[in-house]
Amino acid sequence: MPAPVHAVCMRDAFVVGAGQTPYGSFPDETYRTLFADAVDATIESAGDLDRDDVDEAFVGTLGVGGRQLGLPGPAVTEAAGLSCPTTRVENACAASGYAIRQAVQAVKSGMADVVLAGGFEVMTDLDSDAAKYWLGVSGEMEWERLAGATFSGTYAQMASAYFHEYDADPDALSRVAVKNHANGAQNPKAHLGFECSFEDARDATVVADPLTLFHCCPTSDGAAAVLVASEAIADDVGNAVRIAGVGAASDSVGLFSRDTYTSIPASEHAAERAYEMAGVGPDDVDVAEVHDCFAIAELLAYEDLGFCDRGDAGALVESGATAIDGDLPVNTSGGLKSKGHPIGATGAGQVVEAYEQLTDQAGDRQVEGASRALTHNVGGSGGAAVVTILEGGDCP
Amino acid sequence: MSLPDTTLGIAGVGAYAPRFRRSADAVRDALDSFHAPGIDSVAVPDADEDPITMAVEAATRALDAAAIDGADLEAICLASTTLSTIDESPVPHLATALDAPSDVDARTFTGSTAAGGEALATAASIDAGGPVLVVASDAVTGDPDSAEGQAAGAGAAGVVLTADGPGRIDGHGTATASYPGTRFRPEGGETQGLGITSYDRQAYGEVLSRAVEDGETEAVDAVALTMPDGKLPYRAAGAAGIDAGAVATAETVSTLGDTGAASPLLGFASALGSGASTVLLAAYGSGATCHVFRIDAGRVPVEASLEGDVDLDYTQAMRYRGTFSTGTPAGGGANVPVPTYRRSLPQRYRLHAGACRDCGDLVFPPENACPSCGAVDGYDIVTLPAVGEVVATTVIGTGGAPPEFVDQQHRSGAYGTAIVRFEPEAAGGDSRTVDVPLQVVLANEAEAPAIGDAVRTVCRVLYDQQGVRRYGLKAVPDAGD
Repeated sequence: MPAPVHAVCMRDAFVVGAGQTPYGSFPDETYRTLFADAVDATIESAGDLDRDDVDEAFVGTLGVGGRQLGLPGPAVTEAAGLSCPTTRVENACAASGYAIRQAVQAVKSGMADVVLAGGFEVMTDLDSDAAKYWLGVSGEMEWERLAGATFSGTYAQMASAYFHEYDADPDALSRVAVKNHANGAQNPKAHLGFECSFEDARDATVVADPLTLFHCCPTSDGAAAVLVASEAIADDVGNAVRIAGVGAASDSVGLFSRDTYTSIPASEHAAERAYEMAGVGPDDVDVAEVHDCFAIAELLAYEDLGFCDRGDAGALVESGATAIDGDLPVNTSGGLKSKGHPIGATGAGQVVEAYEQLTDQAGDRQVEGASRALTHNVGGSGGAAVVTILEGGDCP
Repeated sequence: MSLPDTTLGIAGVGAYAPRFRRSADAVRDALDSFHAPGIDSVAVPDADEDPITMAVEAATRALDAAAIDGADLEAICLASTTLSTIDESPVPHLATALDAPSDVDARTFTGSTAAGGEALATAASIDAGGPVLVVASDAVTGDPDSAEGQAAGAGAAGVVLTADGPGRIDGHGTATASYPGTRFRPEGGETQGLGITSYDRQAYGEVLSRAVEDGETEAVDAVALTMPDGKLPYRAAGAAGIDAGAVATAETVSTLGDTGAASPLLGFASALGSGASTVLLAAYGSGATCHVFRIDAGRVPVEASLEGDVDLDYTQAMRYRGTFSTGTPAGGGANVPVPTYRRSLPQRYRLHAGACRDCGDLVFPPENACPSCGAVDGYDIVTLPAVGEVVATTVIGTGGAPPEFVDQQHRSGAYGTAIVRFEPEAAGGDSRTVDVPLQVVLANEAEAPAIGDAVRTVCRVLYDQQGVRRYGLKAVPDAGD
C-alpha cells in the first residue's frame, strides 16, 4: 500500500499557467509545432514567467504513428525553446495526467520550482488501419487483443456487463453524448464542436454494441501544457490554482484480469487518494472533467468518483445534474467526446479546462462560482488512472 | 490382399465438416453452369478454419468416441494435401492441441489424395502399443471455373487404433501405376486436372482393381472411396467389380464435395454412422496409387455429425474463401512475437489456467504475480472445461476489427469478443472461476451470445503474421447438447 498521503505532503504545488492548441486535424502542423504552440499559450498565460524559469519538463505521449518513439520529450521541448531536463511519460491515454502528477511531485519535493507538464499526439495523418493499430497498442496484447477486441470493444464489454448488472437503460449513453456535444459546441478549441441530438447519438452506426459512433471519441491532433510551480512562484504570478490533491492507481492492463467489469477500480482508487490528500469529498466538487473516451466511461466515472451511487449514473445524467447548468457540471470542455482526444495531450487538456474554469477564463462555458475542480484521466481500459483536485483562490 | 503385420484395432472414429454449405444450384445461378457431377452441395470452411483446425475437431471426436486421452497417444499420422505451410511439420500443432506426449511419433502424409490411406496403413503397422491416431483433413481449392474448384469441399476424419480396438483390419492391398496429369497442384497454384475423362477413369479403375483382390468386395456393407466428384469413383468401382449401391452407402461427396485425402475416411465414418459393419475403404490418389482396406468395424463407436446448418450463396461462399480479400492491411498487427506466442501454447490450445500456490485462486494465464494475492509462488495447472459462461460481450462489426483481424472480417463478417467465465470442477469441492477473453465465431450477428449464455471453445486460426500461422481457441455459441 502507498504511504499515507499526508506523510509525503511537503509544500504546496500550484498551476500558474495553462494553454493548449485547438484539437482537430491539422495537416499543416507537426507534433513539434503543436507542442510549441501549446507551450507558447501556457507561458503567455503565466504572466511574468518565461521559458528560462522552467526547471523541468514532463511530456506525455503514446507515440501514435511511431514518429519519434525514442526521446519524444526532448524533441518537443527543444522545439518549444525549453532547455530544461525533459522526461517522457507514457501511460497510454493518461500520459499527461501522470506528467502533471510527476510535476507535482517535483515541486512538492523541492527538486524544482517551476515545472512544465504537458502532452501531445498527432493521430490524423495515418490511414484508418494504421490508426486502429496504434489505438490498440495500449490494450492487453496477448489475450484481449488476440481475442479481436478493440478499445471500443473492451468498453462495450464493460457496457454490456454494466447494463446487465443494473438492468439500466442504454439511452444514458446517448444522453452523455448530447450533453458533451452541447458543451463542446461552446468550446472554440473542440475537435467536434457541434451539437448532436439524442436521436443522432442513439441511431448512429453501431461500432461495438451497444456503443454507436456518437458514443465514441474521435482521434485528434493536439497539444496541451500547464505550468506547475511552488507557492512562492504562485504568489508572484497570480491567478494561481492550488493542486489540492492528486491520486493515481494502476490495475491489470487486461479487463478480463480484474475483479469487476462494471467499474474501473483504478479510477476509484485514484479518486480515494486524491480526495484524501485534498481533504474533501465528491460533494465538494464544483466542476469536473472526466475521461469519456466512450460514453460508458463517463457513466462509470460518475460512480467511481463518488458522484452518485452504483447503478445510478444514468439517472444522474438524465437529471441534468451534470449538464453545464447543473449542480455538478461534467466535461464543460466537451470532454474527449466533443473536444477531442489527442491521447498524450488529453490529461493536460483536462487541467487546462479546470484552470480556466477556476480562474474565470472559460468564456461561454464558464460555470459561475466554480472554485474546486476535479480532473479524471484514464489509461487504456483502466490499467492506469489519475485524479487531480484543483482549488481556485476563493475556495473555502 | 496381404494382411498387415499389426495387432492394432480401430477403437473409435470421428468426423468433422464445417457448418457452411454452398449448393450446386448457387453456382448455376451465378455462372449458368456447374462442372462437378454428382455434387449437390459442398462444405465451405469458415474464414478461420483450415486443415489443421478441422483435424483438431475430427481428432477430438475420434478420441472421445474411443474414450482415449490425447496424453496417451503413441503416434499421430496426419494426412492432408492442402496444408498452408510446407517445409514445416503440421503435426506438432495437432499434438499440442490434443495434449499428446512429447515423445509422440509424429508423421505427415501428403502428395496425393491417397495420403489418408497411406496414413492408415502406416498407423496400423506401427510397432507401438498404441493408441495411434490417424487424421485426414483437407480444405480443397481450385479455380472457380474449373470442375475441381466447383467441387472443392472440406472436412476431416480421424481413426483411433488401439491394441484392443474392436474394429479389425482384415486385409490391405496396394497398387501403383503411372498416370500423370489426372489431378495435381503446381507450386503456389490451385488443384487442377487435365479433364480427360476416359484417361482419368482408366487410372482410377486400374489401380483400384489391382488393389482389390478377387472376392474381397463381396459381402461388404459399404465401400468408402476417395471421391473427387460423384461420377468418376462409381465408374472406377464398376471396373473393379464393386457394387454402386455399396459406394453410395459410404459417400459424402454429394453433400460435402471433394474432401481430398479425408474423403475415404469421411466415407468410412459416414458408413459406420449409418450402421454399416463391414467396410471396404479405398484411398485413391492421382499419380496414381491406391490403398484398399477391408475392415470389420461392427462395434466401433463413431462421433460423426456432418450436417451443415448455414447455406451460402455463391458470392458469400467466394467471400469466405477469400476471393475478395487482399490480406492483412498495412499498419501492422498486434506485435506478439512468435517466441512469446509459443510460450502461451498450453493456454492457446488447451486453456491451461493455474491455481495460485499461495491463495488457491484460479488465474489465466498462469504466470506472473497472482492478481488476487500478489504471490509469486507459481501455479498448479488446471485445465478449464470446454464450456463457459459469457460475462461481458460485444460484437465487432465489419470495419471495426484490429488490422490483424481485418482479413478474417473481410471474409466472414462481424465477430463477437467476450469475456468467458469457466468453472472447473474443484478437487476440494469449493467453487472457483476464472475469466478468459475469447473471440466468438459467428455465422451472423443474430448468433451473438448474451451475458449468461454458454459458449464452447474451438480451435481456429488466429491470424497469419510474418508468414507464420497462429492458432488458438475461440468460442462458439454452445447448443448445450
